[in-house]
Amino acid sequence: MKRRNFLKGILYGTGATAALVGGFGTFSKHSPLKAGATRAEGEEATVFSACEMCRNQCPIAVKVKDGKVCKIEGHPDDTAFGGVICARGNAGPSLLYDPQRIKKPMIRTGERGEGKFKEVSWDEAYTYITDKLYNVKDQFGGEAIALASRKGPHDWFFRSIGRALGSPNVFSHEATCPMTRSVALDTTFGTEGIQADYANTKYLISIGRNWFEGIHVAQTRAVSKALSKGAKLVVLDPRFSITAAKGEWLPIKGTTDLAFVMAMANIMIEENLYDQDFITHYSEGFEKWAEEVKDKTPEWAEKETGISKDTIIRITREFAAAKPNAILDFGWRTAYTPNDYQLRRAILIVNMMIGNLEVPGGYYKTKPANFLKNFPDLAGNAEGLGGVAQPGFPTPIKGRIDGTGVKGTPGQIIPAYDGAVGKIIESILTEEPYPIRAWLVHRFNPYISLTDSPRVLEAFKKLDLLVTCDVYMTDTAYFSDVILPECTYLERYEPIFDMSGLTPKYVIRQPAVPLVYPDTKPYWQIYKELGERMGLGDYFGFEDMADFINQQLAPTRLTFEKMKEIGVWTPSGMKGFYIRENDSKASLDNVLSTPSKKIEIFSEHVEEATKQGVPNYFSHPQPEEGTFRFVQGKVAVHTNAGTANVPILNELMPTNTLWMNPVSCRKLDLKDGDDIVISAGNYEQKGKLKMTEGIRPDSVFCYHGFGRISPELKRAFGKGINGNNLISNEIGIVGNAVTSTTFVRVRKA
Amino acid sequence: MDNSLVAELYLSFAAIFHRPNQDVSNHLEELIDLWSDVIPEIESIQKLTAFCKQLPPGEERLNALWEHYIPLFETGMVEASPYASVYLGKEGLVLGKEASNVKRFYTKCGYVMGEKSGELPDHLAVELEFCALLAQNGQDDLLKDFSTKHLEPFLKCILPRIKTSGRPVYSEVAKILEVRLLNLQKEGDFVG
Repeated sequence: MKRRNFLKGILYGTGATAALVGGFGTFSKHSPLKAGATRAEGEEATVFSACEMCRNQCPIAVKVKDGKVCKIEGHPDDTAFGGVICARGNAGPSLLYDPQRIKKPMIRTGERGEGKFKEVSWDEAYTYITDKLYNVKDQFGGEAIALASRKGPHDWFFRSIGRALGSPNVFSHEATCPMTRSVALDTTFGTEGIQADYANTKYLISIGRNWFEGIHVAQTRAVSKALSKGAKLVVLDPRFSITAAKGEWLPIKGTTDLAFVMAMANIMIEENLYDQDFITHYSEGFEKWAEEVKDKTPEWAEKETGISKDTIIRITREFAAAKPNAILDFGWRTAYTPNDYQLRRAILIVNMMIGNLEVPGGYYKTKPANFLKNFPDLAGNAEGLGGVAQPGFPTPIKGRIDGTGVKGTPGQIIPAYDGAVGKIIESILTEEPYPIRAWLVHRFNPYISLTDSPRVLEAFKKLDLLVTCDVYMTDTAYFSDVILPECTYLERYEPIFDMSGLTPKYVIRQPAVPLVYPDTKPYWQIYKELGERMGLGDYFGFEDMADFINQQLAPTRLTFEKMKEIGVWTPSGMKGFYIRENDSKASLDNVLSTPSKKIEIFSEHVEEATKQGVPNYFSHPQPEEGTFRFVQGKVAVHTNAGTANVPILNELMPTNTLWMNPVSCRKLDLKDGDDIVISAGNYEQKGKLKMTEGIRPDSVFCYHGFGRISPELKRAFGKGINGNNLISNEIGIVGNAVTSTTFVRVRKA
Repeated sequence: MDNSLVAELYLSFAAIFHRPNQDVSNHLEELIDLWSDVIPEIESIQKLTAFCKQLPPGEERLNALWEHYIPLFETGMVEASPYASVYLGKEGLVLGKEASNVKRFYTKCGYVMGEKSGELPDHLAVELEFCALLAQNGQDDLLKDFSTKHLEPFLKCILPRIKTSGRPVYSEVAKILEVRLLNLQKEGDFVG
């Protein structure tokens, strides 16, 4: 007999490794008493919850059979969603049961980006992060720690770590998404809580908004409903999107949308098509706007936009004729230009020129419980959610790296909750205004989501600590020091979400099944445990998520059990309402939160911040012969950086292509399906060409979210074009990413 | 071959295909001794021995195991997913029918997976560990039944993937396990 005491020890339970019945402790003796707890064969159940395949949190009905999620449908009782979900929502089980998910916490063992990791216990991971964060804090101050996440219910927990460490540098992803719109809403109405009533509109103009590919189920259904009732849809977009296919496509020159919008205002004033009573009653600064647009004639706009003046005039007249039940859409996507916030402001102003605020088919203020308090007849319908108290966070010693909040600068109007997330990269690399040394990332993939991907990698390499919490080994996770495996949305409770629209609405996310990979955790538990390990436990004053939810629901007359049972709650019998539906002069004091309590066409805040109190026009360069404007967009079966590796979605669309007009293809001697190289300055990406009439000859297009560099995203790795690899990290005036000002060259590979 | 040796063999393979840990990593030589006793002529033994000589017991060896275990089994590349359902189901996902089937088999034999086991029922290491328990307890018929219905179809899918991955230790152990499987199927004739 040779030296085999180790195995014998394990086998017979005398070794160092824990042994229940022998072996590695995997098995124990079956207890007959527990047999009854086993789910009966064929048992079926429906669990009401909320989707997380994108950030929209659509209410869902999860069908569970034999303890497994077998199908996901829309919540049948939510009228806005109508019991349906999108392809991504349907793919939930494919994510849930994916063998490629992260299963255990991991710590890097090789060089950053080398892909060498070891799995560790949660304790080891927390200890490692704690030590590193306090090292950074001690040496460089709390401000040297940045946090960034996709916006969502995790924010309360995730952000508490950074704020408790005294960091002012806590960011959302919004600067890479619709933040310019938020700035416009804030500075024009004093609130971001404004939505469009697509379902009842009679005339809808989209400026690049693509409801049928960038899907928000309720909004996509509402637009479909309007179209089925005969509404007209006009789409301004250099590319023929699916949405453009459902209306009149105006292939506008990229970055000239503001010219179109200002010309609309010019025409409406010249032809007296606007609602003077509304403007007089509810707004201020109109005369400055009128002055600004007086030379923005249709003839001028034709030269800028490439859209004929007759078309601009016709569209404007049609739009005005439909007032007030018309919408010039305020958009939902990454900003096109550095001054995109002024495009969004101008859009809102033109909407106000037809008086479409608080009327059906126009814009409305969302109406959560706290809003109803202003209306005695309605106040009894709902109570606002409570919250979990936290001690005061320490005041950061230094200001934010992006200048958010600094008066007299553009930072004055950057939303403090969001910030300019792209600035993290610059501060890491340039150490201006001071260095960022540690970065915590939650369900956010800066490599794909931020522009100038190579520079993002450079920044990763300079960090003392990079921590990623996600469900997959994303590109960013691949470069991280610590990776924390989050369970999916189908396996966890979350705080109640307030999803109020025309009426108050509360939605719960709850587990449909137990954890598939037992060592993954919900984010709230991860950050609570990490906070406790860091000595910050006072900021997490709840026992578990049931306790958290109970504290939320305490003022509402709702219970945790009730929410679990119904999934979605709205006040019984309450109908949505528009304040000006029956009284065109009704007070909007409860809607407008600007300093003047008016719609601020001229904004003192914006004037102070950017010296442009009303939107000014800036003509951006157009591509020269041989170069093309590079534009990106969303696709219906993927969510930006999030789903490229989800098995069924990857199967539906594993890669992207570069769209180019046949006229341009002929000039470059390129054919459909050719292997190509796209270049912008020193950067290059390889891909395949798609020859199509559905793009202007001076532009090229690809869908976003492809070209992944983490080999651990096995299905998505190395497939397609990463558009952000070609775009420089230009940060717009209000901190926004800028995506449509890059020119590229294309050649055969 | 007596039951305790059979049990040790199954357990040795389970030890390798469970997530790396310091104990197993430090006792790799012992496992190699066992395999060389049973299948003495196989080239893989020499390669494993060379690996151990190059990396003595300790953290460096453990990290080397992790370096290959993660892309091979765990995250992302998953060159050879360690879950039977991925191969024996239609959708290539975990927790498929095969996971339920083996779980039922465990229950039938008087075992359940502990709440803190942290693993799915059809993980390669779990199935091998289960076989070790059956062998240890002399439940020969059940072992044969489980092996025929569950383990062998799984091994036929996964072992070629592990072997061709070329990952140190794992590909060699897969070769040894494959030979062991062939030996069992030949009912006493040894291949090596």
